[in-house]
Order: sequence, then structure tokens, then C-alpha cells
Amino acid sequence: MSDSLLELANIEASYGPVQALRGVTLAVPKGKIVTVLGANGAGKSTILKTISGIIDPSKGQIRFEGAEIQSRDPAWIVRRGISHVPEGREVFPLLSVEENLRMGAYTRSDAEGIAQDIDMVFGYFPILRERARQEAGLLSGGQQQMLAISRALLARPSLMLMDEPSLGLSPLLTQEIFRIITRINREKGTTILLVEQNANMALQVADYGYVLEVGRIVMEDTCKRLLEKEDVQEFYLGMKAQGARGQRRWKKKKQWR
Amino acid sequence: MEEKEAVAMNTVPKMFWHGVQTRGPKTIFRQKNFGIWQSVTWDELGRAAREIGMGLASLGYQPGEVVSILSNTNREWMCADLGALGAAGVVNGIYPTDAAPQVEYLLADSGSVYAFVEDEEQLDKLLEVRAKVPGLRRIIVFDMEGLHDLSDPQIISLEALRALGREYDAAHPGEWERRIGLRKPEDLAILVYTSGTTGKPKGAMISHQNIVVTCEGYQAGFPQGERDERMAFLPLCHIAERVGGEYHAIYSGAVLNFVENPDTVPENVREISPTVFTAVPRVWEKFYSGVLIRLKEAGPIQQWAYQVAIGIGYRQARLREERKPVPAGLGFAFWLARLLVLNNVRKVIGVHRSKVLVTGAAPISPDLVRWYMALGLDMVEVWGQTESCGAVTSNLGGAIKPGSIGPRMSHAEVKVSPEGELLVRGKTVFMGYLNQPEKTAETLKDGWLHTGDVGKVDDEGYFYITDRMKDIIITAGGKNITPSEFENQLKFSPYITDAVVIGEKRPYLTSLVMIDHENVEKFAQDNAIPFSNYMSLCRRPEVQELIQSEIDRVNKAFARVEQVKKFRLIEQKLTAEDEELTPTMKLKRKLVNEKYKDLIESMYVREAA
Repeated sequence: MSDSLLELANIEASYGPVQALRGVTLAVPKGKIVTVLGANGAGKSTILKTISGIIDPSKGQIRFEGAEIQSRDPAWIVRRGISHVPEGREVFPLLSVEENLRMGAYTRSDAEGIAQDIDMVFGYFPILRERARQEAGLLSGGQQQMLAISRALLARPSLMLMDEPSLGLSPLLTQEIFRIITRINREKGTTILLVEQNANMALQVADYGYVLEVGRIVMEDTCKRLLEKEDVQEFYLGMKAQGARGQRRWKKKKQWR
Repeated sequence: MEEKEAVAMNTVPKMFWHGVQTRGPKTIFRQKNFGIWQSVTWDELGRAAREIGMGLASLGYQPGEVVSILSNTNREWMCADLGALGAAGVVNGIYPTDAAPQVEYLLADSGSVYAFVEDEEQLDKLLEVRAKVPGLRRIIVFDMEGLHDLSDPQIISLEALRALGREYDAAHPGEWERRIGLRKPEDLAILVYTSGTTGKPKGAMISHQNIVVTCEGYQAGFPQGERDERMAFLPLCHIAERVGGEYHAIYSGAVLNFVENPDTVPENVREISPTVFTAVPRVWEKFYSGVLIRLKEAGPIQQWAYQVAIGIGYRQARLREERKPVPAGLGFAFWLARLLVLNNVRKVIGVHRSKVLVTGAAPISPDLVRWYMALGLDMVEVWGQTESCGAVTSNLGGAIKPGSIGPRMSHAEVKVSPEGELLVRGKTVFMGYLNQPEKTAETLKDGWLHTGDVGKVDDEGYFYITDRMKDIIITAGGKNITPSEFENQLKFSPYITDAVVIGEKRPYLTSLVMIDHENVEKFAQDNAIPFSNYMSLCRRPEVQELIQSEIDRVNKAFARVEQVKKFRLIEQKLTAEDEELTPTMKLKRKLVNEKYKDLIESMYVREAA
């Protein structure tokens, strides 16, 4: 796994007495999109927060470009090239769209580069150019998500952590967002670690996937193969055998194989 | 008077109805419902069984017809069983983990006319195959959750059946009592299908007499009464829980406690703290490794205290084993060790009130028996099989020989044949296999049950099992090996759940090992060994080394030719639903040998020089 941009080894993290991650090991190869699937409370967001330094792991190592980065200051980690697109957008509602974007470039000082990058994200999301002077709080949910992604891009990251970009978006808008995510990955070569509940969408765009259950990885494989796994189909894609009665309610046992 | 009573109790229905009449308002079992243990009295059980039995009669159930029950161990299982037996029927249990095709085979082979199913999940299995089982008249569902909209003339709820039974009973007074008295001791009572490592399962026919005589023998061996608490959690389709649990409780009045589900056994044991506790070695191993793992997390003072206390425990246990008096000083030290340390260990497991621990259904490591004895408990290993209606030998409390299955119990004769096979004779020996006269003839010869277990007997009449006859391995070098000795030693490791030793016509012995997921996972985390899923855990070199060290440890106790040279881990997490495991979670030797052929071959590839 020498070509991995990011590696997590045995990461454990807790919120007080509640252990959220119980030894997570995963790798994100350079230039790829990797997804982590899991139900509510599985610990998906905790993984991202631990990487970006918001939470300190109680055990384990995080290696980025070969160097250990766990428990470092979040700002330091952003400077190293990791941007976090948080769950629920978290745009600054009273700042304008452009000011929000400039907040994303807070760690940079090259005015010219920043201007270029703002232009670039306007290229990805033309609607943001139209609303550049508007307060971000007045944007629709989809537009806020576009802004959050753009803001993260402004730090010129080599790795983007995306926490449920499809949250609360219409199916059409979700497709739009995922199209852009793929474009960013292909055009700029940005590596992406994507956390999603919309398993179908995530497995379509990502190269490699992990399934997380109560703080532990229970399955990993290429997305192509994950899509064929029975348990993934039943528990994440909502496809299930109907049985003789045609209205099965009981759940089969998860085996993860 | 006593004579009369004995006659009155010579079948299961008579024994049961006698209990209802004499113990009426007393508790017979409990089941946890919404977090509260709820008691059911003999009267209530009697009413439920009567309504079910009469309900079946109202549908046209004839004496001697077979019903099947497909459910986890719970109170409805017991009610349906006693209801059908009371209506002069025959009952067959089906494992809830069986897949639809197996269910089909068992229904057809047993000739079941009614089937009780636990819930929606089990019902779906039946619906999948019911077209191929034309003899099946009705399906009765215990739990209708999610099925209330279902309208299917073949399916009714247990509640509806009981309502039918109430009406029928009112219209036909005396019918229930007539049916209770209908079966004779030598009549067929239950069918118990043996898991069958090869070929189709065989239905062992157990008579009323087999059961009643075994209950009498159990009562003599492990006396119990209305004040005793027992756990009911092994599958009721298995002879151990059916006779040793359900019927012995009916016989003796001991209270059964049904666990919530198979995952809550440890919790439920702590809540109930049974006074008589029967379980399979896997459960005892789990308790032991649980204590060991907790100990690793404890502080140095606690660890030291445990070491000292268990050391004293082992010393007094050894004297007890050698049947020597325990000197007063050691007796006092042990009293102190229990007071300060060991009683807590017993409480953590939930065995602090246990008078006797019974282990059976699979061989147990003698070291494990000694550990429980060091806690001041009596653990008796018993031996028997479905065909002998359960245990026929048992260790004696106060004279336990770890590693031995004990002398014969009062209700059966046991001897070793010239070929070394253990033979059983007596009223507990089964009637034969259903529809398989040639298999019956192979097993029952000259009145002796040929058990297929190879063993010996010592001068005190204690029996020892060395292996299953068909399991003995003959290596390419012509050496006879009994694999279970090695396997049992290996299973004593907290990191190994089960193992199969291989070597038939091979130059050396090898082993397939199934790791204990929880404990190995914990080992990996404590040692910062990165892994993601089960397979990647198995493949870690550190885990391979860990298992190798366990194998090395066991190898030391064996001669060179008996040592295991290589091993492979089974990289897929197996569950009770998988065909590789028996419902009691043992690896099936033959099937594993077949299924993992390539993996086994890889251990015999000649390494390049």
C-alpha cells in the first residue's frame, strides 16, 4: 500500500465513555475515490473528524503522505492539504458567498492564486457566481452544498473529506453534486474520501469501498464487487428476496462475506 | 401407593398431567418479556397445553400422528410439545437454523401433518417448500407479528388454535383425559434427527419409556426439585435440552428459565444464577475465556489476587480429585480465597449458586473441568447420545475424574466391546431410526446400542472416550491417531473456537482452525495490529504467529507423529446457519474435509528444496 495518500491503522476514538471507533484500518490510494458506507451511528463522520484533527484518537496512527498526523491541530492539517466538507454544509450564513469562499482560502496568502481558484469553482458551479454577493444563509440546500465543496477546494487540498454531500438534497441535485465530485477527482486529481448513506450513489462513483458497522470495518472491496455482495444489496441498496409471501418483514442476519 | 404412582407416570403426558394436578399454582417456567422475567404456573402451562392439544384434535389430529416444531427455544415450544404429546401425538423438532430444503426433508421424512413455526421468518421457509410436502395439513404460527393481514386457509395463529381448543374441549368433555391416557410406555413419543455429518439426517425414534426412565436416572444422578432454577437455552430439538431440561423439569418440578435469545445467554445466566446448570463445552469455554480476558484488563493487584486465589483453588481441587482430605489450613485459605476473590469470579459468570455444573454433548478439556473445580464447583461430565435418549454415564459429585465421562448411571448398562467400542443396553435405548431399518440394524445388535465411540474403562468403572470410531485417522505411516485429543487441547486456548485435525493417508498431521473472533480481535487491537475485516484479521502474520504458538504449546504434550505440523485458518466467519457447523457450533469433520480440500492440499504441497 505504498501508493496510499492516507492510511489509518487501528484508529480508536470515543466521545466520553462511548467508543465510536473500535479499531479502524483503511487506506486511501492517491487519486482515487474511496467511500465508507454505514448506518447512522456507525462512526463514519467520526473517521473524518479524526482525520481532520477535530477529534483526537485514543489509539492508532493516521499517516498522510507517509507522515503521522494524528492529534495535530486542524489548521495544521489543512495546510498539509486535507480539506473537510462537513456534514450539513456548515456555511457561514451571514457572510456572502464570496466571503465564504475566501474563508476557505484562509491558510493561503497568494491573492492571485485565490482569485484563479474562485474563478475555477464558479466554473464548476455557475450558480455561485450569480449569487456571489448574496448571504450564504439565503442559498438553497443544494447551493449551500456546492458552496461547502467550493470552500474546501479553495484550500487547494490533495485530499478532500466529504461527509454526506447528498444529505437533504433532491435526487436530481444529488446526481449533479456527484457528477461534479467525479469531475474534481478526474480533472484535478484530488483524492476523495467520501462518507455516504446513499450507498447506491457512492458505490457508483467510488473506486473502493469500506462498510462500517458499530465502529468496525466488516467488509472492504472494490465498489464493483461490493455492489454484487448479497449483504450490501440487502442492507444498503434495499434490494431483497421477497420470499413466497411477497411481503417479507424480517431481516436476515448480516454475515458480511 | 408408590407402585400406583409409578404406573401413573409411565408416559410423558401422564407425567406432565400428574405434575399439573399436584403442583398447580407453583411456577414451572419463566420467560423474559419486555425486560421482566414473567413466571408461568403449572396450571397455566396445563391450560395452554390442553387448549393446543384439543385445538389439534378439533382439526382432526389422530393419535400417533407427527407434528413438527420449528422454533428457537421458548415457552411456546414447550406448550406445543406438551399439547401435541397430550393429544397422544408424536413431536419432531426442527432446528431454527435449518435452511428451507432441510426443513422440507425433515417434514417429509417424519410425515408431519401439522407444523408449528415461531414467526414470520420461519414461516417463510415453510411456505417456500410447502408445495413439496403434500402431507402437511396446517401451519400454526406462534408469533403473528407482521402477519395479521395474511389470509391463507392453511395458516392459523397459536391463539386461534387455542380458541378452537377451548370450544372443542367444552363440547367433548373427557376427551383430553382420554387422550392423556392413550399412549403406552413403549409407544413412540418424539423424533430427534441426528445432525448427520454424512448423508441425510436420521430420525431417532424415542419412546415414552425411554424418556421416563432417563428422567428417573437423571433424578438419581443430579437430584433437583421445585426450589431449583435451571436455564433453558440449548435447542429443544436436541436431546440434551429436551430430556435433561424440559422433561426432567416436568419430572422434578425444577423451574426452567428461557433465555431471551442465543446472544443474551451470559446476561440471563447472571440474572437467574441457576442452581443446576447444564451446558455444552463451548459455553463453558466462553465463560472461561471471558474471565481471562477481563483479567487482562484488570490492575496488577487484582491480577495478583486472582493468581494467588486460583492457586489455592487448584491445590484444594487436586486433593479433592485425589480424594484426599483437605488440611484445615488449606481449607481455611480456600475459604478466604473464595470470600475475597473466587466468589466474585463465580458471580461474574453467574454460577455462584450452582450446586452442580453438568457438561456434555461434546468432549471437554480436563483442564477446563479443573478450573471450575478450583472455583469450588463440581463439574460433572456426562456422556450419551440421541440414541441412548441422553446421558448414560456421569461423573459423581465428590468423586470427579476430569477427562473421564464417569461411571454408568443407574438407568443403563454400559460396557466396552472387544473392539473398544462403547455399548449401551437398557430401557433408555431408542426404538430405531425412522424409515431406515438397515441403519437401525447396524446400530442395535443383540440388544446393545453400538455408539461408535471408542473408549476404555478403569477399575472403578469410570469410562474414558478416546474418539469417535469413524474419526480415527490412519496416517500414511500407518499410525492410528485420535484427532479429538489434540483438538480438545487446542480448543482450551481462548483464541481458538474449534479445530479439525487432518491426516488420513497423509505423511503428517495438519489442522484447520477457527479463531475466536472476539478474543483475537481484542488481541489485535491491544497489540496495534492493523486489520479491517475478519479475513484480513486471519491473514495478519501476528495472528498466524499467535495461533502457531498455541499449536506449539499443545504439540509439546504429544509424540512426534501425533504433532500438528501445519495449520490454516478458516477465513470466513461461520455462523450456525452455515453447513460447516452443527447447530451446537462444532465443525463437521467430513464436511470440512471436503469443502476446504484446496486449503488442506496447500498444506501438503511439497516445498521446493
